Amino acid sequence: MIKTVVVITRLRKLQLGCLAALVLMITALSPDAHAQFLHPKITSKQVTVRKVVILPAKVEVVRDSMKGPEGMAAESEELSGRVEKMVTEVLANQKHINTLTVPASGGDTQGKYTVADIQAKFDDLLPKVLKKRKDVKQGRFSMGDEVLNLNLDKSADAIVFIRGRGQKLSSGKKTFTLLVGGMPAYLMIQIGVIDAHTGDVLVYTDPILAGDPTTAVNRLRSALEKGFKKLPSVSQ
Amino acid sequence: MDEVTEDRSLVFLFSLYERVHLGYITARLALLTRSAATPGSSSNMNSASIPLNSRALVSVLLCCCLAAAAFSVPSSARARRLRQQDKLPAAQSQSPANDDFKFGKVDLELLEQVDLLDKRLEREGLVLEDDATTVYLNRVGQSLLVPRGLTLENVTWRFRALRDSQPNAFALPNGSVYVSTGMLTLMDNESQLAAVLAHEMTHVLRRHTYLQNRSNRKKFLTMNVMAAVGAYAPGGIAGAVITIVTAVAPFIVMATMYGYSRDLEREADLKGIDMMLAAEYPPEEMVNVMKLLNRDIEGENIRLFYNDHPALNERIKYLTSYLGARADKVTPQMELNREKAAYFRKMEPVMRHDIQLAINAGRFRSAVFLAERLVDFHPDSENIFWLGEAYRTLGPRSTQLTERELTNSAKKDAAKKREKRTVEEEERELLATPAGQENWKLHQQKAEESYRKAVTSENPVAVAHRGLGMLYEKLGRSTGAVAEYEKYLEMLPAATDRERIQKRITDLRKTP
Repeated sequence: MIKTVVVITRLRKLQLGCLAALVLMITALSPDAHAQFLHPKITSKQVTVRKVVILPAKVEVVRDSMKGPEGMAAESEELSGRVEKMVTEVLANQKHINTLTVPASGGDTQGKYTVADIQAKFDDLLPKVLKKRKDVKQGRFSMGDEVLNLNLDKSADAIVFIRGRGQKLSSGKKTFTLLVGGMPAYLMIQIGVIDAHTGDVLVYTDPILAGDPTTAVNRLRSALEKGFKKLPSVSQ
Repeated sequence: MDEVTEDRSLVFLFSLYERVHLGYITARLALLTRSAATPGSSSNMNSASIPLNSRALVSVLLCCCLAAAAFSVPSSARARRLRQQDKLPAAQSQSPANDDFKFGKVDLELLEQVDLLDKRLEREGLVLEDDATTVYLNRVGQSLLVPRGLTLENVTWRFRALRDSQPNAFALPNGSVYVSTGMLTLMDNESQLAAVLAHEMTHVLRRHTYLQNRSNRKKFLTMNVMAAVGAYAPGGIAGAVITIVTAVAPFIVMATMYGYSRDLEREADLKGIDMMLAAEYPPEEMVNVMKLLNRDIEGENIRLFYNDHPALNERIKYLTSYLGARADKVTPQMELNREKAAYFRKMEPVMRHDIQLAINAGRFRSAVFLAERLVDFHPDSENIFWLGEAYRTLGPRSTQLTERELTNSAKKDAAKKREKRTVEEEERELLATPAGQENWKLHQQKAEESYRKAVTSENPVAVAHRGLGMLYEKLGRSTGAVAEYEKYLEMLPAATDRERIQKRITDLRKTP
């Protein structure tokens, strides 16, 4: 009797293993599993974020097929715009934070360079933040007062930087992932809210969603809402 | 060298397959012998293990056939062709373009992606929008196209500078060739620029990106199929063998991907030399560019297990041997194209721009190297200001890395530290050491000296006052800093960083 219970074929074991891994992955990818880190200036209410400027988001998605990853430049561009818009909505609806427009560089080359250089500075800082996200709570990270070179509206309290990467799976790869294992479709967003006057990293959050990043609109909204949960809202 | 690596991997794979097969047969024989020797056990074995073992055999064969198909055909044939090309004199070599290439759906999809990438680079302010530089790059690029006006399907030649202080260049298959400002300012003459462009143009002419993409897709498919076979490997020796094969094979496939890429790089180097000769550029400058790239100012050239480009020393070696007698013929035009001053005159604004980019990217040693080159060439007040900026931001770091710091392991450690520490933390750590303090003292003196020269020259530069202000602020000399900042804003009331400087003045006034 005991023998019959214990006899599980290797194949069954493997399938169970895959299932367990999938469950673990989904748990890890659920938005609740991801924390937000606030600068002491925010937690002590020394600084209140009322108005922000959102710099153009940079979200990259690829289509992973059995023949390797393929670029999705047009979809990435579209998704960047959607994430940016959704962050604006979440901040306005949940936190009553207004978004100001980025000064249009138009044909101004210098303005374009300044935005590019500030974006590059954030990209340089991001790996350091990712290495020790908890240090945001100690106020360790800053982009310096170079952020003032953006010449934003004087009333802006913070600048929001958005980065993201994700993958969508082809139908073949979906089957393969189910049978063999591997990364499912996902979108990971990294958001830094930077003090517009000092360059300090005020908030860092990285909401993640599991599923096709190009179509999961509601899940994206919910992930962003949870991502900004700890950010104090502006009293009306 | 690369071809040999690929051939070796093929031999290794087949020997592995033979061993696997032999192991399987031995195990099967042993099993049969044992079952025959044990009465009553044969029925058990026959009912369960034979179907499993035939499945195992099919898996092993499938696995090895896929691997062999993926490795053998393109690499060895290509290697032979490349070896033959090496021996051909420039005049006899085939057309620079890959005329046999036919566009498929996959290639057109890739083309669409790169067209979008082109637009994005421009939109995001990553392309240097300097007309003089763009015109110059286009002139040099077009001069390399032989026969003149050579047209290719889905290629529109565009040569542009990319705002990046790291020396680099790349070509998109749609004909867009980008050379980073870091690369432009590292080179000494137009011929070296032509060498870089010729190399990149060969990638476009020979349709390397498309070929590599096609090859990689096949190899990815092989790896995925192998992973699937490995995941469902049966038990016993055969299963263990399949697991080993499927675990090892992806590394071999990866190696062939890099090997194939190295082959293409090699072809681009050699065809590039032919293009240079045809356009009357001294071909040995290709070797000189490699030597320049080998000069590792920031300690960034870390050797990895896999590389998509051949090692620089190896490139220098095969380029030198390919050049042979080709380098002997020197025409007056070649001499002109080697002129350093003419090139530097054209690159002066790019150099200034690149110093700022290098400082922004924390590549302070490169900034000093570049600023010194700039001042040596033309010591005007603006260039002297940049020298001051470079020394001020270099701070407690040394101007050159020591031999110990240039070892591969030291470079790896430094890269890890760069990932963890912020620039300010690095400076604080260095300032806690006697060497760091000494460096800082020396560099602050040099910076102050340069700034002073820049503000007292015939054409004083306003930004030098800002530099002095920042230097004094760092040294804790608040009054001096405020005075310099104010002078800067007085001279340049419409400065784009006015708000930043005004905030600094306000903060400094608050401090006792």
